[in-house]
Amino acid sequence: MTARDAPAWLEELEARFGTVIRTPLDRATGTLTATPALYDAQVLGEALDGPKASGANRLAVYNRQYWFRLFEVLQAAFPLTTRLLGHWSFNDYAGRFLLAHPPHGWDLDRAPDGFETFLSASLDDSEVATREALIENSEAQQSDSRRSLSGARGAEPHVLIESARIDVAWRGVFGAPRVTPYKPSPSDAARLLDARLTPSPAVAFVEEHWPLLELRKTVRDDTSETPVALPTRLPHARWWALVRRDEGMGQLPLAPREAELFTLLSSHTVADALGLLERACTDEERAALPAKTQAWLARSVELDFWVGAEWRA
Amino acid sequence: MQAISTCYLLGVGLPLVAPKARGLLSRSEAATGLPGRSEAATGLPPNALGLGLRLPHYSHLFEHWPEVGYFEIISENFIGPALPPRQKLDRIRARYPIVLHGVGLNLLGHEPLDEGYLDALCRLADDVEAPFVTDHLCWTGDHGVTHHDLLPTPYRPELVSWAAERAYEVQRRLGRPFGLENLSSYVEFRSSTMTEWEFYTGVVREAGCSFLLDVNNIYVSSQNHGFDPDAYLAAIDFSRVLQVHLAGHTREPDGTIVDTHDHPVSDAVWALYARAWKMGGPFPTLLEWDAHIPPMKDALAELDKAKAVRA
Repeated sequence: MTARDAPAWLEELEARFGTVIRTPLDRATGTLTATPALYDAQVLGEALDGPKASGANRLAVYNRQYWFRLFEVLQAAFPLTTRLLGHWSFNDYAGRFLLAHPPHGWDLDRAPDGFETFLSASLDDSEVATREALIENSEAQQSDSRRSLSGARGAEPHVLIESARIDVAWRGVFGAPRVTPYKPSPSDAARLLDARLTPSPAVAFVEEHWPLLELRKTVRDDTSETPVALPTRLPHARWWALVRRDEGMGQLPLAPREAELFTLLSSHTVADALGLLERACTDEERAALPAKTQAWLARSVELDFWVGAEWRA
Repeated sequence: MQAISTCYLLGVGLPLVAPKARGLLSRSEAATGLPGRSEAATGLPPNALGLGLRLPHYSHLFEHWPEVGYFEIISENFIGPALPPRQKLDRIRARYPIVLHGVGLNLLGHEPLDEGYLDALCRLADDVEAPFVTDHLCWTGDHGVTHHDLLPTPYRPELVSWAAERAYEVQRRLGRPFGLENLSSYVEFRSSTMTEWEFYTGVVREAGCSFLLDVNNIYVSSQNHGFDPDAYLAAIDFSRVLQVHLAGHTREPDGTIVDTHDHPVSDAVWALYARAWKMGGPFPTLLEWDAHIPPMKDALAELDKAKAVRA
């Protein structure tokens, strides 16, 4: 933009100051504590003592602000996951994620991007440690909670991965841009089998094996920092469409095959998706499939699940 | 204080006579201090009282549409493509003036300004017909990493010209008045050779932009660094003040004051505001409240105290 470069000393100072700000907070004492002894020596030498605090302690204000601000942003983006882990454990994962993936760009809302992938990989790497943490957390809870945990033992990382996916889906749908729903014209409808439908960014299809969306509602306005009791695994997986409407967010139950169809439609033509679905069905299901798929497709258009259709040339 | 020089203008290749986009003054005109603060300059009544628009206030706002002079939005909250914020903003804009206040410009960052961000900021300012746009005299990131904090630098003369050049370009791009806010800060640098107010006034004058004077920030920094807040006020050319910010703060156990925006305005800050009003009023005044946000009627009652303080 401008012809001149910044003074060279500015770039060096900002680089060093940046490392100070991002110095991890110490968790050893059970609270998150700044450790000025770890700060860059040149920055410490630059920071003047004030009338009330040393230069090092003044720098620590920025160090703490960096972490607490970003922890809050990630907690807000992953409210369900935060409550399942509890703030202390969640912040541990969030801190490690932010060290590996510090924020880029002006948009603070982008800082959590990729956390669910990081969490998933971390849980795979340290499944045992995570399970121990969850069990430890659960000990503070009621006996019912412990029974629930026992019932789910061996699957806790999967609960967290699923909750993170739900948090991501919710955030994506809520923050989607303005869209114009696709309503097929009569001529489009006649050749819709060859079309690929474009999913609306204001709709997401999520599968849950635990009643996590229900749990998400109950913890939404709860400011407690302790982990919430792990819910009991559902006997069968459930599918939902998360939908943003003018009056707010909504969730619609989907039949498993209906959800499968919508998922297939995101990456196949309508004809191919119907074919794949049919092949996946039992003979009994297959008999009722034409009527059902027609109803499901009509409902999806009525509920604004799609924003366009494309035909290959 | 650094005076603008022909050498400087030529050195950076800027036009000596900048286009008067939407009545904006050229840099050379602006450097002479021509654009006095008036309703025409700020787009707001000179004694307007405004409130920082925050999420918890929406329901009260949409139900009661209270009497408020104007709202200030955090630019970054409305720049993205997400629909819900823009839907709400459109409703509010239909009834109140909106001014933009950014936290992501990174004016004192060593890297080039983010062109995409500036384009989006210009579009938002146009969309809401913002009378003016403001951001902070600070840096927020380095080497591609963003810290999402308002960070100070050493105050040195060579940084004045460089920062002014960037602020000038931002104002030119926006095509409307651009104001720089003074920081609350918690650290001072050994290598500084100027006071904060010398640096601040130097950048604003040389850029031909304006002040967003945060009286709480002056107080917070004066306590943290041990300077006289009245000396700070005395350095300000109030004819170039677009608006004044008020907010609450928190005193830490070690005595450091942190600019938390989570309390009512302190008595000491009200007193400083009264002195600023006496020195340079009238000016539009805005209350910021960002944490432990009270019901809107309570926030407006806090803002209303300004009327008594001005009397």
